[in-house]
Amino acid sequence: MVNIHSTAIVSSKAHLGENVTISPFAIIHDEVEIGDNTFIGPKTVVYDYTTIGNNVKIFQNASIGHTPQDLKFKGEITHCYIGDNSIIHEFVTIHRGTAASLKTTIGKNVYIMDYSHVAHDCVVEDNCIIANLTQIAGHVHIYQNAVIGGNVKILQFMRIGKFCMIQGSRTINKDIPPYILAGTEEVQYGGLNSIGLRRNGFSSDQIQHIKKIYNYIFESKLNISQAKEKISAEFSNDPFAIEILAFINESKIGIISK
Amino acid sequence: MSNIHPSAIVSPNAKLGENVVVEPFAWIHDNVEIGNDCWIGPHVIIYDGARIGNEVKIYQSASISHQPQDKKYNNEETFCFIGDKSRIHEFATIHRGTSGTGKTTLGKSVLIMAYAHVAHDCVIGDNCILANAVQLGGFTQVDDWAIIGGSVPVHQFVKIGKHVIVGGGTKIGKDIPPFIMAAGEPIKYYGLNLVGLKRRGFTSDQLEKIKMIYKIIYDSHLNFSQAKEKLMNEMPEDIFAKEVINFMNLSTRGLIGK
Repeated sequence: MVNIHSTAIVSSKAHLGENVTISPFAIIHDEVEIGDNTFIGPKTVVYDYTTIGNNVKIFQNASIGHTPQDLKFKGEITHCYIGDNSIIHEFVTIHRGTAASLKTTIGKNVYIMDYSHVAHDCVVEDNCIIANLTQIAGHVHIYQNAVIGGNVKILQFMRIGKFCMIQGSRTINKDIPPYILAGTEEVQYGGLNSIGLRRNGFSSDQIQHIKKIYNYIFESKLNISQAKEKISAEFSNDPFAIEILAFINESKIGIISK
Repeated sequence: MSNIHPSAIVSPNAKLGENVVVEPFAWIHDNVEIGNDCWIGPHVIIYDGARIGNEVKIYQSASISHQPQDKKYNNEETFCFIGDKSRIHEFATIHRGTSGTGKTTLGKSVLIMAYAHVAHDCVIGDNCILANAVQLGGFTQVDDWAIIGGSVPVHQFVKIGKHVIVGGGTKIGKDIPPFIMAAGEPIKYYGLNLVGLKRRGFTSDQLEKIKMIYKIIYDSHLNFSQAKEKLMNEMPEDIFAKEVINFMNLSTRGLIGK
């Protein structure tokens, strides 16, 4: 049973799951799939090649799966995926991918607040929170459980590690490794995101452990490559050390400093 | 033959060219002219005074040619011109002019990204890009090929020269002369926009010339009026020097520093 308001326009080609609500003046295009129990708010438009999971809520005036703001885009078929239980607030814009990666992906339980923008080819993993007005450029990868404050500008191709928290109103122009707080005017290492880690069930031992690793990177007088050597020598089999080193090694643009 | 959705409201006094698509719930007022092959997205409202060229695309919920946010405005008839092949993304707001100049003007092939605002009496040249959430104050001038990064606020009456690129998240309160990069807090000169200039076919000889000009302006110990005099004496016939001098003469807010 689907609940579609009489003023809404829903393409007969769109696939709607059970118990979907489509509010007044919303528009659902042809190549759209919407899962069970999902709510589409008033005036929201869902464009072609968008797949939305179950229990998703999309509020007023959002624009989902529209064509990218990229001059290289030539109308190719690309996709936009929104995972189960995600919530998308008013006036949010999420664009579909370009030929570069063919898709924009929002994970499960993601919470995106008013006026935020997620550009083409971005990946936002599960449980992330993106506060008001945050503008995310193309090809950005935000790993799981990251929290981005309000009015943050994230430049293209940036990577934000998992369980990070970024203070509001910052400009992110370098990669941010996992588990940390990033803040101050030039985005910098601000210690561990200990509250977030605790809330997510990390034990004090684990937190102490991660802190030790970051002490070598940010609090010693070593440069990054010396710190990396020291960490791999001292924590050879430690999963956190392996993870952080792998993140740093994959960074194309360098990580933030202290 | 235009394709107007039955739920859209199009005034019989509005003039629409050939092959215009008007999506659901869009609203086009009386004193509006739209060229051929335009696409007007859903929920877009185009107010009186809009003059839109050919092949323009306006995305969801954008507001075009609404009344200026200026207390001096007293319902006088003013205009908002949008050049051919321009694209205006979701929730952008472009206001028409005041009696100050009578019009707001966007050139050809301009890309205005989501949430951007172009105030009354602004003049934007051809091929400019305003990234997400850029907010232009009234009477701002943006010359051809300039690119403004995301979330940048621009003070009223500011002039931004040709081929300038401005980093995302900075604030613009002074004039930015042509051909350069500007970024930082407070905003400052960051060298030439070499990538942009090369893409547009400037030769290395030309780039060297422009570099010499900016060495005199920013890398000597002269103040701006001394630098201007030196340019007039040393490079009187150089077209780029003439252009930069002309920009300096027209500057009312002063140039950004180094």
